[in-house]
Amino acid sequence: MNYKRIIQTTVLVGITFFISCQKEDPNDMIIPATPYEFKIPKGFPTNPNIPKDNPMTVEGVKLGRYLYYDDRMSGKADQGMGMSCSSCHLQKFSFENGIGKGIGTTGLETDNVMLPHVNLAWNPGTYGWNGSIASIEDDIDGVVEGPVEFVSTWPDVVNAISAVPEYPAMFNAAFGTPEINKDRIKKAIAQFVRTQISSDSKLDRVIRGEDNFTPAEQRGLVLFTTEAGADCFHCHGAPGNPLMTTNLFYNNAKDTVFDKIGDRYSVTHDSRDIGAYKATTLRNIEVTGPYMHDGRFKTLDEVIDFYSEGLEYSEYSHPLMHKVYPPYGHGAMLNPAQKADLKAFLLCLTDTVFLNNPDLSSPFTAK
Amino acid sequence: MKKSVYFVLTTFIGLGILLFSSCEKKPVGGSQEPAGKLKFNFEHYVDGSPVVINAMNYTNAAGNQYLIYEVQYFVTDLVIYKHDGSSKMIKDWTDYHYVDTNIPSTLLWEVYDSIPIGTYDSIAFHFGFTDSKNISDMFSYIPESNMLWTEPDGGGYHYMKINGKWLDTNNSTRGFAFHLGRGQHYDTSGHPIPPYIDNSFRVSLPGSDFTIDDGKTTEITIRMNIEKWFKEPNIYDHNQWGGDIMENQPAIKLATENGWNVFSVN
Repeated sequence: MNYKRIIQTTVLVGITFFISCQKEDPNDMIIPATPYEFKIPKGFPTNPNIPKDNPMTVEGVKLGRYLYYDDRMSGKADQGMGMSCSSCHLQKFSFENGIGKGIGTTGLETDNVMLPHVNLAWNPGTYGWNGSIASIEDDIDGVVEGPVEFVSTWPDVVNAISAVPEYPAMFNAAFGTPEINKDRIKKAIAQFVRTQISSDSKLDRVIRGEDNFTPAEQRGLVLFTTEAGADCFHCHGAPGNPLMTTNLFYNNAKDTVFDKIGDRYSVTHDSRDIGAYKATTLRNIEVTGPYMHDGRFKTLDEVIDFYSEGLEYSEYSHPLMHKVYPPYGHGAMLNPAQKADLKAFLLCLTDTVFLNNPDLSSPFTAK
Repeated sequence: MKKSVYFVLTTFIGLGILLFSSCEKKPVGGSQEPAGKLKFNFEHYVDGSPVVINAMNYTNAAGNQYLIYEVQYFVTDLVIYKHDGSSKMIKDWTDYHYVDTNIPSTLLWEVYDSIPIGTYDSIAFHFGFTDSKNISDMFSYIPESNMLWTEPDGGGYHYMKINGKWLDTNNSTRGFAFHLGRGQHYDTSGHPIPPYIDNSFRVSLPGSDFTIDDGKTTEITIRMNIEKWFKEPNIYDHNQWGGDIMENQPAIKLATENGWNVFSVN
């Protein structure tokens, strides 16, 4: 009898022992969907910015892709004002609009030109021209409720999406229940946006040893990556930083007077940021004009001319824009042959695989 | 009856001990040697006071009025020495630390290594990377990847970037990129002639003795005295060298020669 009790006690204690030693692991939570395999391209940073509370799943990405292209996302399609992310972020333009500023449901224009949706999984949490947006999820809030883009409300958006018969099953697959809400919509779209990865330009193929630059492209690369040349790399990266941006903010000497509205200064209140905007990625730069935050340059040639001889002196320009001063005058002072070489290299950043990737295209037209 | 109660009690106590001991984390490496921890603080001064960023408050030895915009650099291969000549290189998973005045967290280096207790005589580190460790593309993540030194200039990484501005002879505010890294020699056509020049150098910190006590953290402050980059033995004149020096080995040489007394322990 006593031995029976002892055995029972021992078993009980043993169970307690194993339970108490088990660590709580968040990965043990039941995740109904299939984990998405996020592949990091060669040379890309190994620390993508994927929020812990929004792990990517195959079903989440699929749902996000539908929502990204669904103009019922404005919540105003029934009023003839349907709009989605893809209204201003077109794949052929590296997921920006190709014309400059965006136009919202009420006809108002955005303050600045569209930024492309490309490799945003590596943005460190400073989205937008002035870095005021902390996450892709937060950006979607602004698009829906802001005064220019969808000019809508989340209840209207949730109602509109809930009315589509196919969505509850897709939300169920992505999040474990068919509930449709603001948080899930944002998470799904953000998951899809993080798959918009451009990593197959000629530059990438050269990095991978699959291709070679022409002599003109090679000369252009040297100009791009030398201080005495065009000195682009300090702000826009180089083969060693194939995102082709530092994701930092610079006053790039294009103005002499600053209103401090909408620039990086408006976020940080640091005098170094007066007139500073993000150094955008140069990936697919060929198709992402017009250029600069206000779209003042229509062509890539105009941009090269600006950095060659168009810099404007002000006390606020970033120290790296030192060519605005003598002996350089107003820029890198490139001759026509050098400008052509630099452009030849910049065209190597066009990623036609990305621009035509069927996995990133509209799921509605793909049907 | 008494016997069985005794048996149950001992079983409980025994399993309890087993339970607690089995859940305890084992120390990494399993070293039982008495040891403490080391923490470095990095501070940046000009003329004896903490640098005020973006303020045209300073005048260098050449008479240039200047401001500091940001300071970014690598400290590598840090070694601590004992009086008996023994030494220990700080590994901290890797053997470098990146310092950036824009990123407060980089101004603190909590060394991962356990440091054996005792009195240490001095500290030395490498400014930048030795050539064999200055390997292109070894950093794929920011902010370190933003320090890349491009291939046409020899590859690897900047040892340091000090970006700032100075008032030139026309009283115009001009930007300077005081960037140090590998140097180049050029032929008459302007093409670089290999091999590239290793401009990195060893920094020995005078008066850097310290003690490590068992289970305690010793804090050491390493100060960069920025004005000394422009001071001795060479007077560095921004009006002479201009805004950019990455492809100007004479300027880099002169600047790195000035690095011998830039750092101090406080």
